[in-house]
Amino acid sequence: MPVIPIAGSERFGQSEAPLDPDESFGDLALHRVDAQAIAGVDALTYEVIRHRLVAVTDDMGEAIKRMSGSVVVTDCNDFGAAIMDELGETVQVGLYNMQLGSSLDMAGRWTLRNRSVSPGIHPGDQFLLNDPWIGGGLHQNDVTVLAPLFYQGQLFCWTGAVAHQVDLGGVSPGSWSVDGRDVFWESVPIPPVTIVERGRLRADTEDMYLRRSRVPKLVGLDLRAKIGANNVAHERLTTLIDKYGPDTVKAVMKRMMDDAETRLRAKLRMLPEGEWSAVAHQDGGRADDRQVHKIVVRMTKRSDRLHFDFTGTDPQVEGIINCTLAGLRGGILPILLTMLCPDIPWAPGGIYRCVDITSEPGTINNCTFPAGIGKASVNSAWATQNAVSETVAEMLATHPELSRSATSVCSGTWDLTLLAGVDQRGGGFATMLCDAMAGGLGAKVDGDGVDTGGVNCIPMGRTADVEINEFSFPMLYLWRREEVDSGGPGRYRGGVGGSSCFIPYDSPAQGVHLVVSANGKALPQASGLAGGYPAATQWDVLIRDSSVRRRLAEGVIPSRIEDLGGHTDTVPPHLETDLGADDVYFTHWQGGGGLGDPLLREPEAVARDVALGKVSPQAAERVYGVRLADQAGSDADAEETERLRHHLRQERARLT
Amino acid sequence: MAYVIGIDIGGTFTDAFVADQHGRLAAAKTPSTPPDFADGFLNAIDELARELDIPAGRLLGETDYIVHGTTSTLNSLVTGDVARVGFLTTRGHADSISIMNLEGRYAGLGSDAIQHMARTAKPSALVPRHLIKEINERIDYKGAVVVPLDEDGVRQAVRDLLADGAEAIAVSLLWSFRNAAHERRIRELIHAEAPGLYVALSSEVSPRIREYSRSVTTIMNTQVGPRLDAYLRPLQATLRERGLTGSLLVMQGSGGCVSADNAPAHAVTTIGSVLSGGVIGCTRMAEALHSGNVISTDMGGTTFLVGLVVDGAPARTSNTVLNQYTISTPMVDVHTIGAGGGAIAWVDPGGNLRVGPRSAGARPGPACYGEGGVEPTVTDADLVLGIINPDNFLGGRKKLDVTLARKTIAERLAKPLGLSVDEAAAAVYEIQNAQTADLVRKVVVNSGQDPRDFSLYAFGGAGPMHCASYARDLGARQVIVPIGATAAVFSAYGLATSDIVLTAERSQPAEMPVDPARLTEAFESLETELATRLAEQGLTFQTVHYEREADLRYTMQLAEVSTLVPNGSLDAAAVAGVGAEFQRRYDELYGEGTGFPDAGLQLITCRVRATGTLAVRPELPDHLPGDGTPIPSGTRNVLLDITVGVQPTAIYDYQALGAGHQISGPAIVEAPTTTVALPPGTHGVVDRLGNLVLTFAPAGSSGLARAGSATSGASEKESV
Repeated sequence: MPVIPIAGSERFGQSEAPLDPDESFGDLALHRVDAQAIAGVDALTYEVIRHRLVAVTDDMGEAIKRMSGSVVVTDCNDFGAAIMDELGETVQVGLYNMQLGSSLDMAGRWTLRNRSVSPGIHPGDQFLLNDPWIGGGLHQNDVTVLAPLFYQGQLFCWTGAVAHQVDLGGVSPGSWSVDGRDVFWESVPIPPVTIVERGRLRADTEDMYLRRSRVPKLVGLDLRAKIGANNVAHERLTTLIDKYGPDTVKAVMKRMMDDAETRLRAKLRMLPEGEWSAVAHQDGGRADDRQVHKIVVRMTKRSDRLHFDFTGTDPQVEGIINCTLAGLRGGILPILLTMLCPDIPWAPGGIYRCVDITSEPGTINNCTFPAGIGKASVNSAWATQNAVSETVAEMLATHPELSRSATSVCSGTWDLTLLAGVDQRGGGFATMLCDAMAGGLGAKVDGDGVDTGGVNCIPMGRTADVEINEFSFPMLYLWRREEVDSGGPGRYRGGVGGSSCFIPYDSPAQGVHLVVSANGKALPQASGLAGGYPAATQWDVLIRDSSVRRRLAEGVIPSRIEDLGGHTDTVPPHLETDLGADDVYFTHWQGGGGLGDPLLREPEAVARDVALGKVSPQAAERVYGVRLADQAGSDADAEETERLRHHLRQERARLT
Repeated sequence: MAYVIGIDIGGTFTDAFVADQHGRLAAAKTPSTPPDFADGFLNAIDELARELDIPAGRLLGETDYIVHGTTSTLNSLVTGDVARVGFLTTRGHADSISIMNLEGRYAGLGSDAIQHMARTAKPSALVPRHLIKEINERIDYKGAVVVPLDEDGVRQAVRDLLADGAEAIAVSLLWSFRNAAHERRIRELIHAEAPGLYVALSSEVSPRIREYSRSVTTIMNTQVGPRLDAYLRPLQATLRERGLTGSLLVMQGSGGCVSADNAPAHAVTTIGSVLSGGVIGCTRMAEALHSGNVISTDMGGTTFLVGLVVDGAPARTSNTVLNQYTISTPMVDVHTIGAGGGAIAWVDPGGNLRVGPRSAGARPGPACYGEGGVEPTVTDADLVLGIINPDNFLGGRKKLDVTLARKTIAERLAKPLGLSVDEAAAAVYEIQNAQTADLVRKVVVNSGQDPRDFSLYAFGGAGPMHCASYARDLGARQVIVPIGATAAVFSAYGLATSDIVLTAERSQPAEMPVDPARLTEAFESLETELATRLAEQGLTFQTVHYEREADLRYTMQLAEVSTLVPNGSLDAAAVAGVGAEFQRRYDELYGEGTGFPDAGLQLITCRVRATGTLAVRPELPDHLPGDGTPIPSGTRNVLLDITVGVQPTAIYDYQALGAGHQISGPAIVEAPTTTVALPPGTHGVVDRLGNLVLTFAPAGSSGLARAGSATSGASEKESV
């Protein structure tokens, strides 16, 4: 059954265009500066204030991390913090989850337009929202708190803090319902509401918000973390404005965006004109859906502009993997920042000015209400990022110097493993296993991708130690390791991903509840570049009624699925089930794509990879065309390798 | 006579400090002598003897102990000149040290480097794959054996490692800190194969939860232990030959020392040996001056280090990052926040003036050194502004070339920015100071403190030139520039005044409230272990003091907070008190009401620190009092405040200043090892120990605030 449009929901959707600088919002007074003031800031003042604004964003991030009670925030860095100007344009984003810094501007604009009259926007107010059609986060778990900063009665600027919340209701724990068909199966979005009113937390709004969660206290703590982060920023910004004056500080904010824009334009002009396209696939939009859904992007570079055209992308699906325009932008910005702007200020307000987007509402990465978006962040937003990554890297690969910041697609998706149940101490628990954060990075133009190096949108992710997981949750690991052949083959190999294999352990309930949700099982997602191969597919396996406990008692720790006995099932993309006492779960997440033809890889490098367990002897021979001197690797047989590679080339050209 | 000596060996200089118990001091600074640093050590002893005007043999004969800050361990690790180590670990987990919790890709890097994601990489492998062997054995989170130890497998693995050339073996098994039986048995099996081989067990080196950093710590300890032994053993023998009857002690990163005989077995604790001297120096000075809370800032030619002293004790951390690997060993918390005087100023592609994070380093150094440096640095700006006297840098030991400094600032900064050379140099000075304030503030705030409650100590060659500006920006109460008797060798002074500090710890993760009897037993066993190790030091202590702490956390949070635990036998009330103290400390660190008590508390690690106070604690002598108003030694044009510009500025020779002398900015004080800048609005007074103490006129009379109101704190502050 197709998604049925909801009359009245249109006003929550919006474009991504900035507001008209002269637009008025009720009787709200905005602090503005003119071009002359912006031009008048000297080099010294600019740099001192710029550095301090960056420090304020860092302070916000630190404040969130320190105050949050949630591992996803404190360790996986799944949050964002930003400063926006009076019109909501983003001046500076922190080095956290960049997807979450990508649409705070949309949220700011919507709030200005729709809240300035009723209930009004006042000094000391803060607004809470988790409506991805409006902006802020990518799915409902990403809750934003926006805070307008007033100075001398004028709305001077905004700060925003957004973080992934562990659970906000919906059918399944963690709000990841694998059976969801539309947004009403999920946590229902909240448009901007006044959570702090003139400096006071509103009890009614807070209750309305927390009532929906399975872990209200944890979510309540994170709410305070975000409010606290905004307060920290406002205190620091007010001191800064006191010292330098509002016009000077604002002029610096505008200059930071102008500076990012100017420099990105200059960089784009260094690159050749052209058009690059890519397709990203997702297999399964919810449990039992066996379709493949595609996102298509054609990126055109003309002069100093980039145009991303998503025409041809599949329509939104009855499932959980769609994303809104905010998610689509969350798929673009992290790539622009890490690949095009590593040396340019991270001021999205300026960077977006160099970008045009064409996307049809109602498609899988620009869906309309009430399409299901529960897994937007790690599905269609992530897949958008994969496709954008491919086009931008291909463009950069044409330039000898700028290509250094390009990589093939990193870790094709997030392999969700959610565990819930009764822990070894008899308490209830629900947690997202963060092992898959150790995905492989894509290969570079001059070297291999980083093995178990992370994911693209979170530059500083982290996994917990095995001991911490075993202490916290009723589980025992058989292994956690890097996986052979998981990195995309190429002249430069993609970074390998890894796997974890564990059993339920010591729970009084004799088992745990398991939610699995991850695409990339039927087809690879981390594409290669310039002839490089994609990384291996994701692979999750459930072994029922295994013999593992007997094996352990006999003194052996199995290292292979084949040694576990029982019935082995490859897990589909979306599954909710229980793990029993004798069951084993194996989760194998993705690596990064390769770069260049694997037949051009140095044979010694292949031999070394075999010795290190990164590449199997079979792949060395069949994919890389390298004949090893012995099965252990470390040495290649040069003559035989040359012959083998010649043969493989003949085969490709169908000459054999 | 009983002397105590501190010898601090840095990459460039070896600093030495000696004191007797009658307040007689001497200091020496000699070049370091890589790769054989021991030569520089002995030269420094000779130099001290000359300063005291006694034969070196007599000095050594009358010395109670020498405390040595050494780069040996750190150098081995940084240069990779380490023992060839084999590694044994639990089957299924060999990759832990290469997965590095993935944080190893960026740990310890600055945000500029992290932003360039494609260029980040993990460091090279700690142990080559073929020297890592997995063993069939498994212990669970409670310490129960799930899979018995496969002894034949161990024997085979050890034989393979030895055949592969392993010089030492590190053993780190899952949950070994809960049950060390398998690790201990493995050591027996190794020694049966190879008697006397250097073996380190994770349950002894770092018995703390989190296998990644525990394994890293154990491996690094095994890599450097044999090397440290090979350095200290001959050094100690030579010192004995030359007459030393007292003890040779080695400074640890924890800020306390350990005997040279005992150091190699705990080699990893000596990482940071040279970093902590400065902070200990500050702690001692703060004791003498009753400063309480101190921000220690050490701005040298190539680094900028920040440490904290809170309520008279140095701030500590239980983890540190080296070569992007996380090591878990208790240390004084020293942050590297910048590149010091060598920080390069540059114009970015957007036409903006930037300072750092790149550094000209010691080679080629700033342009004004005339050693091939072509990029302008902070030191070049200081020179152009007139703050540094080109003929009196480092007491005249290094001549600086103003022409080269002006030339590079003109070409690379002033011209593209459309500024005069003076303006460009002033901008570099101001930006450097403002950034320093931002970064120091971050260190202070992240430790849960407010910079306004602190005195700031500034040392290192370049610190005193900048400290007035950044301290004022931070809102610090006052600045103390220690340029008395210890000026040149402040870290060496810190070494000579340190105590023996030994730490023992063990993770015992459990839900709070834990059983008081078990907790008491845990602490007592750590104290017994420490008492044995204290006795092994072969020293006489004036007092021995044990300090207990426990790392607690809210369930589900990964980070723990160290919490003080009372001594003696603990009852239920004491355990509850520990929980309350944790919550208080948590609120202090992260803000009121940010804790999540409903999640429950867990106690993760118990730790005891034993401090043995040594018999001799050198007292600093009083500085000679000064009469009347100090007379400047001259005047030169200096730019100290961009809003004022160049102005004739009084220059004072520190050696002519006496205790009680007062100076008002703008002024420059030149001391043999550093230069102190007093911008307008700064007031300086020489205290009884000869330190220069700076305070500031109320805000608003100076600084950058040109636009708008300059009063602070006047606006409304919105808060929940």
